[in-house]
Amino acid sequence: MSQFLQQLINGLSIGSVYALMAVGYSLVYSIMNFSNFAHGGVIMLGAYFGYYYLTAAGLPFPVAFIVAALTTCLLAVIIERGAYKPLRERKAPFLYFIISAMGTSIFLENMVIATIGPTFRTYPEILSRTPIQIGSVSVGRLDLTMFIISAICLALLVFFIDHTKMGKAIQATAYNIKASALMGINTDLVIIVVFALGGFFAGIAGVLFGMKYTVYPQIGIITNKSFIAAVFGGLGSLPGAVIGSILLGIIETITSGYFSSQYRDLIAFVLLIAVLVFRPSGLMGKVTEDKA
Amino acid sequence: MYKRSLALLLVCLMILTLAFSGCSKPATETGSEAGGETAAPADEVIKVGWMGSLTGDQAVWGQCEFDTVKMLFEEINAKGGVLGGKKLEAIGYDTKGDPQEAVNVAKRLTGQDKVVAIIGPNASGNAIPIAPVLEEAKVPDIATVATNPKVTVLDGKVKPFNFRVCFIDPYQGAVAAGYAYDVLKFTKAAILYDVADDYSQGLTEFFEEFFKAKGGTVVAKEAFKFGDVDFRPQLSKIKDAGPEVLFLPVFFKEAALIANQARELGITVPLMGGDGLPSEQLFTMAKDAVQGTYIVNHVDYDDPEVQDLKTRYRNKYGKELELNGYLAHDAVVLLIDAIERAGSADPVKITEALETADVQGVTGRIKIGKDTHNPEGKEAAIVKIEGDKYVFQQKYSAQLD
Amino acid sequence: MDLNYIFGILTLAGINLMSVLGLSLLTGFTGMFSFGHAGFMAIGGYTSAMMTVKFGLPFIPALLIGGLIAALVSSIIGKLTLNLKGDYFCIATLGFGEAIRLILDNVQYFGGARGWPGIPHHTQLLNVVIINIVAIIVLANIVRSKHGRNMIAVREEELASQIVGINVFKYKLISLMISAAYAGIAGGLMAHYMTFLQPKMFSLVKSTELTIIVIFGGLGSISGSVLGALVLTSLPEILRTFSEWRLVIYGLSVVIIMITRPSGLMGGYEFTPSSMKKLFARMKNKNKGLPNQMEGGKTV
Repeated sequence: MSQFLQQLINGLSIGSVYALMAVGYSLVYSIMNFSNFAHGGVIMLGAYFGYYYLTAAGLPFPVAFIVAALTTCLLAVIIERGAYKPLRERKAPFLYFIISAMGTSIFLENMVIATIGPTFRTYPEILSRTPIQIGSVSVGRLDLTMFIISAICLALLVFFIDHTKMGKAIQATAYNIKASALMGINTDLVIIVVFALGGFFAGIAGVLFGMKYTVYPQIGIITNKSFIAAVFGGLGSLPGAVIGSILLGIIETITSGYFSSQYRDLIAFVLLIAVLVFRPSGLMGKVTEDKA
Repeated sequence: MYKRSLALLLVCLMILTLAFSGCSKPATETGSEAGGETAAPADEVIKVGWMGSLTGDQAVWGQCEFDTVKMLFEEINAKGGVLGGKKLEAIGYDTKGDPQEAVNVAKRLTGQDKVVAIIGPNASGNAIPIAPVLEEAKVPDIATVATNPKVTVLDGKVKPFNFRVCFIDPYQGAVAAGYAYDVLKFTKAAILYDVADDYSQGLTEFFEEFFKAKGGTVVAKEAFKFGDVDFRPQLSKIKDAGPEVLFLPVFFKEAALIANQARELGITVPLMGGDGLPSEQLFTMAKDAVQGTYIVNHVDYDDPEVQDLKTRYRNKYGKELELNGYLAHDAVVLLIDAIERAGSADPVKITEALETADVQGVTGRIKIGKDTHNPEGKEAAIVKIEGDKYVFQQKYSAQLD
Repeated sequence: MDLNYIFGILTLAGINLMSVLGLSLLTGFTGMFSFGHAGFMAIGGYTSAMMTVKFGLPFIPALLIGGLIAALVSSIIGKLTLNLKGDYFCIATLGFGEAIRLILDNVQYFGGARGWPGIPHHTQLLNVVIINIVAIIVLANIVRSKHGRNMIAVREEELASQIVGINVFKYKLISLMISAAYAGIAGGLMAHYMTFLQPKMFSLVKSTELTIIVIFGGLGSISGSVLGALVLTSLPEILRTFSEWRLVIYGLSVVIIMITRPSGLMGGYEFTPSSMKKLFARMKNKNKGLPNQMEGGKTV
């Protein structure tokens, strides 16, 4: 029983890492209807920014944390302007966006290898590594902090989207971009804001990831998992992304804990396909209409 | 219309560049030029190829390897070169750790750059597929840390142009199992390995085989997949199985993360690992968690002979020498010895000389076996992590069979 | 320039082209995006290697069996996932590709993650070229047939095609199976070129690379795929001397091509004798200063 509880906590903590990454994907998808594969690269850079603000610039942690997130904010907007806007203006199909995003992510990853180098960096210890013991179950302090920070950020995001004018504009644009433009919404600005928000979340995810694990140029690989989680929950839906991520985390943990760690991903993928067969738009995805 | 023509023109240009890039001297290429004097006439320069990962997950080792080779060549050139005054030049290319890239690189090095020998690659999965290319071009290759037996011997037959300076996986597995069971008296071991990695799978198999043959039991054998960073699900399961030692046939990044997470979950047993573990980075990532870890290593870091190489590297590049650097050093030593004994820079003669090579490297005596092309009877160094040092325990050798 | 090296790259370009041709049918002509084609290559590669190594079959039948098995597997995957839209299908194929790799990593019969050395060396530039020519002729005929037109209709307007009585699902499935067969044969060629198979060779990166080639060459253009495969296989080789900057340049050029030439190199155009005639006629017209009425062409 205690092992099961421990595994559940492990799953929750892995899931919350996925969730933080998946939110950025989902936000962009809800407006642009394409998977922003460059997101992983931005997360990776977020981890590096945080690291350098903390160590080289010597900023205190909360400041470094926020500044790193703001930097990735800017970076995401620059990527949008450079790699996606020209495509948007041409009304290119989503394939081109995806390829452009992939090119960007190859570029970012290798740029870091070529300039900063492939070595791993470790964040200075901000929180003690000794976990909190509850009975025989141990909960990492960092996990708990991450969980809380993620929850606060998500709550702020939901508030922003539901209660501000800009948020409403985002919702309208997500619903129908053409009609929103006709209604006088500056959709270009909305897109910038969405990318900025995605970048902000990428920065937060990057810094927390870097603190918890380590910083290296291939962090992008792990974001594939969060992408799958976002699809699992339903692309374009924020609650879907969170629920999908947590579910994926728990499924993975239970699989490797009780069935086979060798075939863990296989089982996760089979489940993913099973979900998609019965719910083609994920658990909570918006139902995409056929183009008519 | 114009745009299309322009694009087509561009494509033709690219293809032409490919066709003619061979005519330009490799010496003008960025990053490939080592210490060789550019002014030296072509026949005075001996070109040696290097291949390995300059990008990708193993770039840390690849870059260190190439840097070591370049540094040593510069030193040799400064002392007057080889074969009575010929300069050495290193030409290195990135393989990304990808077998297909490795084949391309081997073709380029042997065909276009006309190197006399190749040093590297570090990954077995890259060293195996280049064998047919080497055989066709008749150019020898000295692998650095490719520990899969099949790198030099396939179906009982030795590959004529593949050599290596490291010991092989079965040996490493046997040493680890023997040391754990016989010396440390552990009888219950758990293994956590990377199912998508060739090195990890090989070492796991041989450790398990030898540990069981000794009479030990493997109480848990769990896997993760390359790219994973969280191992707590597997570790929670391992904790329940109650092992006396946790064997980690993985690389240092995963080892550091596993160590941290294992300690968080309250696993206090000592860790043990192979030659993927030793790195200066292990300490920055998980200094407290890896204390007391036993490692089967190629080299004893406290050996006085090693200190000189370490200092030279640190002075030149401002970083610590990684394990691969030591083996790259020995590959260079082996190659230079072969060139000198062959008395010529002819690849076939170098190959013949390599077959009878017997040199002293920093990782031990390298006596190439004629039927295996492996360094025979090379002892492993067992080191233990204490503080931020790899403290030498003992030389240990195991009997296969 | 060394011939052996050039032949090596061309052979590799030919192998890539083989799977790109299949993917071109799926993505360029039927409008579906796959991230799992490396998985089909893996199936074809391991199957044909098994045929030649363990059962001693000749090379060509082994290749065909590899293609056939890949097509069979794709039909099962297709039945489950072809109803999914856009990114969802894409992720399902991504999952499939990774699942195949994970299975191969675990199956010790094929050497697991450590790979399978000692496969006979059969793939030469000559037979790759011949196989590719046959493949192009077959593909061109499929595309020009009634079935090919139906596939293009599915790409352009799925709902409308359904309404006029095209069995959308069936055509998607046929397209997927043919493209998987092509990828399977390409995998077989790869196995007998490298003489070594390792699951690592068929990673997500490989699938991505193939898709990039198709889009780079131009969706819905077979000649574009040929050109794309040649250029994008040799580009990293040209850039090889840039060492660790190589992939930085590669990534950047992919983005630049996408934003400056959004319909790829060929943009739906084909090199055929008649199109060449038209092209020359147009150039003549231009020289005479006549207005050019054929500008544009079909774009996706």
